[in-house]
Amino acid sequence: MAETSQARASPSAPGGDAGGEEDKHDERMLECNICLDTARDAVVSMCGHLFCWPCLHQWLETRPSRQVCPVCKAAISREKVIPLYGRGNTKQEDPRNKVPPRPAGQRTEPESTSGFPGFGFGEGFHMSFGIGAFPFGIFTSTFNFGDPRPSAAPRGTAQFEEEQFLSKIFLWVAILFVLWLVFA
Amino acid sequence: MANIAAKRIKREFKEIMKSEEVIGGSIKLGLVNENWTELKGEIAGPVDTPYEGGTFLLEIKVPETYPFNPPKIRFLTKIWHPNVSSVTGAICLDILKDQWAAALTLRTVLLSLQALLSAGEPNDPQDAVVAKQFRENPRLFTMTARHWTNVYAGGPNIVHECNSKVQRMLDMGIDEHQARVALSSYDWDLERATEQLFG
Repeated sequence: MAETSQARASPSAPGGDAGGEEDKHDERMLECNICLDTARDAVVSMCGHLFCWPCLHQWLETRPSRQVCPVCKAAISREKVIPLYGRGNTKQEDPRNKVPPRPAGQRTEPESTSGFPGFGFGEGFHMSFGIGAFPFGIFTSTFNFGDPRPSAAPRGTAQFEEEQFLSKIFLWVAILFVLWLVFA
Repeated sequence: MANIAAKRIKREFKEIMKSEEVIGGSIKLGLVNENWTELKGEIAGPVDTPYEGGTFLLEIKVPETYPFNPPKIRFLTKIWHPNVSSVTGAICLDILKDQWAAALTLRTVLLSLQALLSAGEPNDPQDAVVAKQFRENPRLFTMTARHWTNVYAGGPNIVHECNSKVQRMLDMGIDEHQARVALSSYDWDLERATEQLFG
């Protein structure tokens, strides 16, 4: 009992690397927080913590009802992790064959300031198409090319609330109008 | 043992040996078997607590699913604490149960256990008798915890009052540990403790 309790650094511990202290520090920056090894198929959570995708996937599978970051316990989910693509990360052996593929990165096209480049319609081109004959006018299609309108305000802001309120008003006006058409 | 568990324990073991807590002697970690499935931990009782000066041995069992599931840990050294069973050494600590997170390590767990010794949580007890004493009679609780630390964990503070009462029960032919448990549980009331053992 007593002899095993003595803390002794084991010089023969496997996996010893001969790198300098500085190198080690740099490497540790890129270690998975679960297996403590260099992260492979790296993903990063919204709270900024790095994991191997197979490790994080197994963590999420272990507790499906309680999906929290293994480091800071922030809420995480499969959809909200970002894969890290370094250079030359394609190896022959693909560990993703064993687990579901890690989520793909989400690409957003950079915002174009020159409107709709393909057709040269200029800025702010809108096209609305509707079949007006009531009652079939409900089937209305709308095309918005180049969408120069401001995007929706982010959720939770006062502007977002206002916009939601306004769109509800317009919806009710439209419904009343339709009812008036029917009964008038 | 699953590859990832063994690999991680080896890595943790290597790192913990270089940690300042091990170098400073406040925690220790040792191997029990060659498969890395069982280890032995040791924590020093925190200063300014009844556990000061004592060293507490811990049994650490590493499950195959580590680090996705917590290690199984219990006190091997007998301890008087509201969140540790005075009989089995079982520990009531949330991070060893539902609040476990895969990024926690043996080092952080040992430090958490040390923190638990500094701040018992009687509202979420493992040992109801201890927790009741902790809440209702803090002076006796401190005395009892110090006495247990002295007797079982090698603490330097001898509590003469406890020793003499235990001795009196020993003279009646009662087993020492049994006598100590009875006295501790009955707030060192010799009469009630004896009554409970013979009744």
